[in-house]
Amino acid sequence: MRNPTFRQLAPALTALLVLTPALRADELSDLRLTLQALEQKILVLERKQEIKDEAAVAAAPTTPKITVSDKGYTLASADAANSLRVRGLVQLDHRWFFEDDGSIQNNSFVLRRARIIVEGALGRQFTYQIVPEFGGANPAIVDANFTWTLSPELGFKFGRFKSPVGLELLQSDSWTFFNERSVVSLLVPNRDLGIVAQGDLFGGKLNYSAGIVGGVADGANTTNSDFDNEKEVVGRFFATPFKDSAGSPVQGLGFGIAGTYGRAKGTNGRTGGYRTDGQQAIFAYLASTITDGPNWRITPQLDYRNGSFGLLGEYVVSTVNVRPSTTGKLSELQNKAWQVSAGYVLTGENSSYNGVVPANDFSLSKGTWGAFEVAARYANLKIDNSAFPLFANPVTNISESNGIGLGLNWYLSKAVRFTFDYYQTEFERFATATPTTNPTLKNDEKTFISRFQIAF
Amino acid sequence: MKFKSLLLAGLALSLAAGAHAKSVELLNVSYDPTRELYVEFNKAFAAHWKAKTGDDVTIKQSHGGSGKQARGVIDGLPADVVTLALAGDVDALYDVAKLIPRDWQKRLPDNSAPYTSTIVFLVRKGNPKGIKDWDDLAKPGVGVITPNPKTSGGARWNYLAAWEFAKRKLGSDDAAKDFVAKLYKNVPVLDSGARGSTTTFVQRGIGDIAISWENEAFLVLKEFGADKFEIVVPSLSILAEPSVSIVDKVVRKKGTTEVAKAYLDYLYTDEGQEIAARNYYRPRNQAIAAKYPDNFAKLNLFTIDEAFGGWAKAAKAHFADGATFDQIYAK
Repeated sequence: MRNPTFRQLAPALTALLVLTPALRADELSDLRLTLQALEQKILVLERKQEIKDEAAVAAAPTTPKITVSDKGYTLASADAANSLRVRGLVQLDHRWFFEDDGSIQNNSFVLRRARIIVEGALGRQFTYQIVPEFGGANPAIVDANFTWTLSPELGFKFGRFKSPVGLELLQSDSWTFFNERSVVSLLVPNRDLGIVAQGDLFGGKLNYSAGIVGGVADGANTTNSDFDNEKEVVGRFFATPFKDSAGSPVQGLGFGIAGTYGRAKGTNGRTGGYRTDGQQAIFAYLASTITDGPNWRITPQLDYRNGSFGLLGEYVVSTVNVRPSTTGKLSELQNKAWQVSAGYVLTGENSSYNGVVPANDFSLSKGTWGAFEVAARYANLKIDNSAFPLFANPVTNISESNGIGLGLNWYLSKAVRFTFDYYQTEFERFATATPTTNPTLKNDEKTFISRFQIAF
Repeated sequence: MKFKSLLLAGLALSLAAGAHAKSVELLNVSYDPTRELYVEFNKAFAAHWKAKTGDDVTIKQSHGGSGKQARGVIDGLPADVVTLALAGDVDALYDVAKLIPRDWQKRLPDNSAPYTSTIVFLVRKGNPKGIKDWDDLAKPGVGVITPNPKTSGGARWNYLAAWEFAKRKLGSDDAAKDFVAKLYKNVPVLDSGARGSTTTFVQRGIGDIAISWENEAFLVLKEFGADKFEIVVPSLSILAEPSVSIVDKVVRKKGTTEVAKAYLDYLYTDEGQEIAARNYYRPRNQAIAAKYPDNFAKLNLFTIDEAFGGWAKAAKAHFADGATFDQIYAK
């Protein structure tokens, strides 16, 4: 960069000096030398800056990039082919139970989740994710997997991950409408071990996953080994056919279907239990019940977003073949659940499956409040009547539940969300059900759960 | 029978495929001022290789400060061949990364230095500061342009030439060190390579004298005009021996060993030597050198082995971290 001011002034100054008769020749010569020296100094400074700029440009292709944002902390190679990203999730809940005569559980604070999420890329084809969980009683690895992406249309995921089945379950728990997922997510598999092929077809309008996993009970996580010799096939198709139709009211419509099919044999098969929104046990198979034979699930699902409005709906049928004992008669049981939940962002931001991004973060000094969203949900769970009394105790279990949820979500920033949810669940019980055996059944569950969350 | 038929068909297909011309790409990682030399040489070699084998060869060039370029190759720049400013920078490929064998210099004639050069002075027309020899470069008020010896091979030759001149004239290494310190006090800008220094002196108008490769100085006269610059030949200078080598680990991986070797061998042929001489590099072939008397200054030359005991010793004493260059330049 040249200095135009100096260059423009130099001839004028020189002319002035030349034309000034009072100046002696030696003084003139000295001034000329001074001017030349000054010009050299400026040229040197300019050149040094030029060299510095050239060095920065030359170094750019090899200089690793460090990015710090509300999406985590990322260290990436200059070509972005290799990266390491560290994210975090902390959820502190407070559960408050109403009209329970103090008999269910203490109103208490709960560290629901505390995770350090380590993920990144190795080369252009491989990505990985390792997620330890420090919330709860014992530390555990929630996710540990890597993905080999051959093209946008085809990739393979290996390891422990969310089984690609439930729509609400696949959504990050940081961004669901409610701080606890609905009963629908209790009937689909949670995290499992295996291999899944996945990809986006037709320009991203159809997402698919299909793979083979160990197989877990409804809502359950793998214990890091299969409970039997059998495997389970899982698959999911989810279409967003109007995603490119800008301005169309159906642009944000997505729908799909997912399912599982496998065989199981053993007491730890598909005999997992179900819980309320307040995480109280309301159904469990008898300890003597064993799974034996084919089992399958199917779950049509829908997600719709239009501006500030969002809607998520899901229905699931979970079928399992069980025996009351190793030699007992085989029966097929079919439990069902469905839910519809909706949210509306009062402050005008877009509703999204991946969370609401406030237009303005909360700031006392600026007088901005972030984003507010209200949400409502209705959910139903129906246990197969044939489960009673051979496979589940009618004294301690419900046969059906109907729950509503009302929520207020306050997004202080992209990373920080406070949620305040009221849940009320009505139970259908058998006449023989005794609250003394299972106090949860004494009254309908009414609970207020607040969550203070940071997720980045 | 079926298997045999398939095997024969496969062989036939392989032979047919082999009959087609191949396209090969080489990367020559070189130092700063050799751009013009290798543009001409690459064209000649590609024609030679095509005539000899029928294959097309494309040679990509990478240029920069010699030390910096060596570091780039060590860090993974996939050079098939290196043509660097000094043997010390090629040595680093063995010392640091074992990319080449220890005895790489023995693989080609003249210690794998197919051409030589030396260091001269480039001054502005009329030589306003009256520069005649190395002494004048250490005088107050003289702006000296030379690149950074930490990154540039040419700069190392410049530094060592000045040191040896002072040592012979003043009688000791201590005196030489003081002399070189004074000289570097006159250096306003340290470019990372020789071409950068030429830009500083010629195009940015900084300094009174550029310590320059002989070939670079002649190129400046040719490109920018003898009416603007002139060459001053000092009483003593160093015989600079730019060195070349294939990068064994890279060519083995890429399958380019044969063509890379042929590329370097071609530098020693009459045509290769002619191209070097035309570009102001001193060819090893004296008959060819004699054909270009105006391209090379006549002066007393010493070798690095004679004066410093070779590159390894010179590098350790002068250019390693904390060695004499760091000491004098930090002052």
